[in-house]
Amino acid sequence: MSEQSNAITMDGPESLWYGHKGNLYAMLILGVVAIGSVWALSLDTRWIYLLVYVWFGVGYGVLLQYGRFCMASAVRDLFAVGVPRMAVGMLIAVVLFSLTAAIVKVMGVNTFHPHPIGWHVIIGGAIFGFGIVFTGGCASGSLYKSGEGNLGALLVVLSISFSQAIYVTLGGWFDRLVPASWTESAATKGMPEELTVTEGWFDQFTAGYIWDLKGTTLAESLEFEGEVAGAFVGNAFLGAILPSLVLLVYLYMFAYRKGYLRRYKIEMPKLGDHLRGIWSMVSSSRNTAIAGLGLGLLAGLHMWATGALRDHYQIFNFGELLADMGHTAGLSLQDTVFDPGYWYITTQEAQWGAWVMEKAGMMSRDNIFFGLENGIPNPIINAPGWMSIGIIFGAAVIALSRREFKWKVPNLETAMFALIGGALMGLGARLAMGCNIGAFFATVTNGDLSGWVFLAGMTLGGYLGVKGFSRWMEWRAGKDEFDI
Amino acid sequence: MAAIRDKWMVQWQFQKDWHPASEEEPGVMWWFGKRKRPQSSGLSRTDRSLELPGIGMVRLQVQIDCLGAVCPRPQLLTMRALDHMQEGEILELLVDNPGSSEAIPAMCMTLGSTHLTTVRDDQGWRIYVRKGEPGTG
Repeated sequence: MSEQSNAITMDGPESLWYGHKGNLYAMLILGVVAIGSVWALSLDTRWIYLLVYVWFGVGYGVLLQYGRFCMASAVRDLFAVGVPRMAVGMLIAVVLFSLTAAIVKVMGVNTFHPHPIGWHVIIGGAIFGFGIVFTGGCASGSLYKSGEGNLGALLVVLSISFSQAIYVTLGGWFDRLVPASWTESAATKGMPEELTVTEGWFDQFTAGYIWDLKGTTLAESLEFEGEVAGAFVGNAFLGAILPSLVLLVYLYMFAYRKGYLRRYKIEMPKLGDHLRGIWSMVSSSRNTAIAGLGLGLLAGLHMWATGALRDHYQIFNFGELLADMGHTAGLSLQDTVFDPGYWYITTQEAQWGAWVMEKAGMMSRDNIFFGLENGIPNPIINAPGWMSIGIIFGAAVIALSRREFKWKVPNLETAMFALIGGALMGLGARLAMGCNIGAFFATVTNGDLSGWVFLAGMTLGGYLGVKGFSRWMEWRAGKDEFDI
Repeated sequence: MAAIRDKWMVQWQFQKDWHPASEEEPGVMWWFGKRKRPQSSGLSRTDRSLELPGIGMVRLQVQIDCLGAVCPRPQLLTMRALDHMQEGEILELLVDNPGSSEAIPAMCMTLGSTHLTTVRDDQGWRIYVRKGEPGTG
């Protein structure tokens, strides 16, 4: 009567580790990344800045696959099957990352910038949350599942990439959807003429709406005196740990308690029973909890490493290093590229799509997103892009070594869901200025409450997505032997 | 490239083997299959005995084929099957998505069912679930 999911292996006696092909392929991938890193450093030691992204990406990929860590299922499974397992893992990661982020903040190398709060966060979160139900994974989830050989997940990544690149450059008819006040406000921002900020809905959304909003952290808005109190009490405890603990108790009360008390035949539960129940909920999926702890730690270390390198090279953005090394083609008007300095997924994927479209002559840089802020660097020198590829590599390494790697070709239904769901995720991510990592995980852990607003939107979208997906499944299953 | 192509071929063959319905009616797994052919969800009734490691001989009443599928399909199909099963009946769920292999046992307590065991082989995971709380079957 095992509640654990440890599987009994039926594939013959265990052989030595090097006797298994999966381990050899895993070593090969790690070897290629290692040799590539040494080669890059031999060309110019400043590539260390890019390599930090690569190796943290590999680390994220290993942990995500190890814990089957999927933030999509954190909200989806609650509504679909009433199981809080992944939501618990996510909250553990939030608690730990908030502490490591606070330490990095006190050290003065925190790379985080707060996001503005507005309706766009909840609407974008809802569209993103709706999309992830149909794709079967969030933005990071699609990357690590690609590393497991799931080509449907790779299709989601491609859809997110190209859809975002298209959204931020759409003009013409779409400009009619933009309120006149945004256009007027955008026109007053004094942007360079080549950006044509009053054309293109996303430019007007950015310059005429987003830039008029203010982002802040809890430590700033509560005016904490002293860096340590602000980082640990304001941002970490009040902004992340307390809300996470409240959510954990809520999850126990509404998703876990009933099943737990029934399973252990507890009829008159006392406080001790509930506390044991909460512990049972937290520890029920060991791998997910371990991954949550590891991801929280790694995300904080990542901020520290990038922050320290920026200090070392006296730069604010990787674009400055690229310019020094003579790679100016992909830089924005300000000589910058996208360089968050922490775990982020969607913007670099938009750059991949834009780069391909630019090569095909279908992309111009007369927009704020690429032209002014993020640039369109060659994917070979796109540092955060390498973090995403690192996630695929890391997930492939551990999937191969656990014999879980398998090429999976999507059927037409899965492929359509991947493309449409991915396009919805792309739209949601652009409206909310990030996915569940950039707009939720990295924000709430740094005292920026806009992340909780994104989670609320993602939860709403996830709920509607589950309803829609269940109807689709019912229709598809309507003719089987379980027809009602 | 040849190795990758061979792997895909194996996968396709594998899917075919595990989709008895689609083998009889080619194309039903696709959206634009012939209209009169029924949609197949991968859910089917069965009645066969098998020996589960650590459990012994059991009789299987339902099987669900979720090869190639990702979450939340395995979860939703398992719930749908359990809704229509009698207390004590056992289902076998076949998945090859690593995430699903851990999601299904985790949901058994919520659904008032019992995860008997999970058997892993080269094809994926076979997860055995009995309807009803432990000790009631």
